Amino acid sequence: MSGDRDSGERSEQARPESTVHEWGPLIGELARRKELALGMGGADRVERQHSLGKLTVRERLEILVDPGTWVEYGLLADHMDAGLGDRYLAADGAVTGVGQIDGRLVAIAAYDFTVMAGSMGRVGEDKIKRLRAHALDKRMPMVWLLDSAGARIQATSGSSFAGAGDLFREQVAMSGVVPMVAAMLGHCAAGTAYIPGLADFVPMVKGTSSMALGGRHLVKAAVGEDVTEDEMGGSGVHTKISGVADLEVADDRECLETVRRYLSFFPSHNREAPPVRASDDPVDRRVEELYDIVPTAPRRAYDVRKVVTAIVDDGDVLWMKPAWAKNLVTGLARIGGAPIGVVANQPMVLGGALDVNAADKAARFVWLCDAFNIPLVFLHDVPGFIVGSAVEKQGIIRHGAKMLFAVSEATVPKISVVMRKSYGAGYFVMNGLAYEADYIVAWPTAEIAVMGPDGAVAIIHRRTLEAVPVEEQAQRRLELAEEIRANIDPYVAAGHAQLDDVIDPADTRAAIARGLEVSAAKRVERPWRKHGVLPV
Amino acid sequence: MPSVHEVRAEITASVWKVVVEEGQMIAEGDEIVILESMKMEIPVITEVPGVVRELHVEPAQTVQEGDLIALIDES
Repeated sequence: MSGDRDSGERSEQARPESTVHEWGPLIGELARRKELALGMGGADRVERQHSLGKLTVRERLEILVDPGTWVEYGLLADHMDAGLGDRYLAADGAVTGVGQIDGRLVAIAAYDFTVMAGSMGRVGEDKIKRLRAHALDKRMPMVWLLDSAGARIQATSGSSFAGAGDLFREQVAMSGVVPMVAAMLGHCAAGTAYIPGLADFVPMVKGTSSMALGGRHLVKAAVGEDVTEDEMGGSGVHTKISGVADLEVADDRECLETVRRYLSFFPSHNREAPPVRASDDPVDRRVEELYDIVPTAPRRAYDVRKVVTAIVDDGDVLWMKPAWAKNLVTGLARIGGAPIGVVANQPMVLGGALDVNAADKAARFVWLCDAFNIPLVFLHDVPGFIVGSAVEKQGIIRHGAKMLFAVSEATVPKISVVMRKSYGAGYFVMNGLAYEADYIVAWPTAEIAVMGPDGAVAIIHRRTLEAVPVEEQAQRRLELAEEIRANIDPYVAAGHAQLDDVIDPADTRAAIARGLEVSAAKRVERPWRKHGVLPV
Repeated sequence: MPSVHEVRAEITASVWKVVVEEGQMIAEGDEIVILESMKMEIPVITEVPGVVRELHVEPAQTVQEGDLIALIDES
């Protein structure tokens, strides 16, 4: 790699007048080195990457970043590890730089699986550390494209492990300051599994990506379990069962396009407002479809996603964790072109009742939106938290408290629409009036109460019912329930001015837009503290 | 390869209505039974199309989370 002196001497003979300014060979050597680095792990490895159904790191960047905006850092990096001999590792397996997405700067760290399985080497990690600092100092989102086998344990630097781990601590410091996205594009174990664990948004490619604290071979050795990467930590596991990932996508292209779409809802950092885009969808559009979507019979189920889609701009919603804790839906959307985070109970699943995972999903989504100044819209149709010994063993009080905590803590504008039931603590965690709801409205079908009429009868009138002959009990129970129902009618709450308005469901979009408009300048001061003690 | 798909209860509930019969053709997303819990009607749907091979519940019966409701021959 010492340069080609011979060709330089030859051209000196041909053009003797340029002996003092002979740039040709120097430029040629530079170009050769850059071309070598851009060739990644070599033609064989690139072909292998494609045969696995994956794009190369360079192809991924082309999709992710606006054309012509990529500024690379450390293209000419190599492993610099004597233990690896004269083997060349392009960019040390980690492509880093700054590019634009929709005209806004984003720091990107992309592991290159064609270079020693994308393993984390010292130089590559130094490069990514520099990008993390860049993202934080210049306040721009950080995106990781993960396709890495984890730590490069062949490296001779094993004995320096005691000093490692700065990547996770720094990521924690970045959390809530700049958006962080970890796109799962390959099988990632250990080190590269905690990066998504600490990121805000984690899309996973179906079939080709996975994440697990221990890779397949380590798991076999350590606990004797024989599983594939996909069985252990594939998108099926993490988007449907564990809730660690947000979204399952079909391939690399969809994954990268989803990252662009996700970031379109977010400001570059937490001191900036989310980007507003022009919209032709009138904010006062009447949503008469809701009459067909939502049954007036309070026990009848429906798909609340149709309600959300009908209300927001152009029916465009990016659902977060849609296949996990489906009894509550969370999504990013816009009204009047401005981003909002929607939290809605889903009567179609578990009757919309809240369980540990739904509370967990909601709390995290509320923290995400609050961190980045995205107003929250809550659509209530909730019979409460599930009760019973099963959920107590799962720690429903702890998880319910987490959702209470997140909603109480959030200082972004918070709008509530009580569509039908909103009972007990379910009403509180869905941003009831007492939770600094900035505008709270209800449909004529709303029922806000400590519990539903049927449950209330069973508790309040237990003795009365026991005194009635058995054959008359059912009828008496219905009558008593109706008496209670009369008191939980929305006009009682409106009469106490505990609702700001009762609205025609078709005016829901307009009501939310009004609520957001009058709350836009919201500022809330809290007593100073280091941080609360989070009930997680 | 056709396979047998299990439909299980997601919540402790009582069975309110059985919507299908054994041997009936069903499409993905069709209701199999409607449970009642938390004062709500909770439809239990099939995630696969096929034929109802066996029904394991009847009206008024109580089911626990995870109990088998039906077996579907996936087609």
